[in-house]
Amino acid sequence: MVLVRNLRPPTEGVRHEEANTTAVLSGQQLGCGTLYVAETRLSWFDGSGMGFSLEYPSISLHAISRDVSAYPEEHLYVMVNGKLEKAAEEEDDDGSDSSNGDEEEVITEIRFVPRDKASLESMFSAMCECQALHPDPDDEDSDNDFEGEEYNVEEADGMEVDAAVAEAGQFEDADVEH
Amino acid sequence: MVVNSIRERTIAENSMVVLLQGLQGEVTTVDLRDESSARGLVLNVDAFMNIRLKDVLFLDRRGQTAQLQDLFITGRNVRYVHIPDHVNIMKTMESQLAKIHRVRNFAGGGRKEFGGRKK
Repeated sequence: MVLVRNLRPPTEGVRHEEANTTAVLSGQQLGCGTLYVAETRLSWFDGSGMGFSLEYPSISLHAISRDVSAYPEEHLYVMVNGKLEKAAEEEDDDGSDSSNGDEEEVITEIRFVPRDKASLESMFSAMCECQALHPDPDDEDSDNDFEGEEYNVEEADGMEVDAAVAEAGQFEDADVEH
Repeated sequence: MVVNSIRERTIAENSMVVLLQGLQGEVTTVDLRDESSARGLVLNVDAFMNIRLKDVLFLDRRGQTAQLQDLFITGRNVRYVHIPDHVNIMKTMESQLAKIHRVRNFAGGGRKEFGGRKK
């Protein structure tokens, strides 16, 4: 997640492209450019080729904000896990980023302000679709291993989904710890 | 309930996410890992616990509130989802599982999603 120069916008899998969009990074205006919501990453570039790309797994949430009392313009809000590193010649000393140097997780807030506010819904939906393409690879809790044939509920032995058949109170003496 | 694939149905029926999927249409609070929270109407929860909320009051970790029209929370960042008191957890899960099975049986008239019974 780096501010770069001379990178090209994505050409494939672009679900939504929005020109005339201002990017505001941790409160700092980066100028007007084009937002590309592509299946592989989210990118924004201004006319001179300066811009940044975000990987979907690094995005915690995104939202449409129409609350002008919170922020004066309607925009697409994106919260990124981690800190955006700026290119060497730009100093990150304005204190406007959200890291307070304490033990909290560091996040970066980005606002994409399109000139055409009616596009917000499409921008948001495109991001939802692309985000869903990148499920968490580190998810250990779920038993999501899915290899080969789908689990066949009817053929599984002993596994009754119909809880009405179960005896009342049959689990009352079950161990609580697990 | 928006369930997009065989894989998602399998994941959902094998995990507690079916409970969250049953909260569609309910107003509830989602606590995020970074200590912020969002309260709004649940539009959709997918098998990866990505949650879409509408008309949200967002409380950031600094305690500031903001209203958001639409919010998508990545599953990885969910810490808690509050289950409203009036929701019957068992019934919700049973009905979600029944929906999954109905979809599977409907699709299976001639062509089954899985390998089918072997003779």
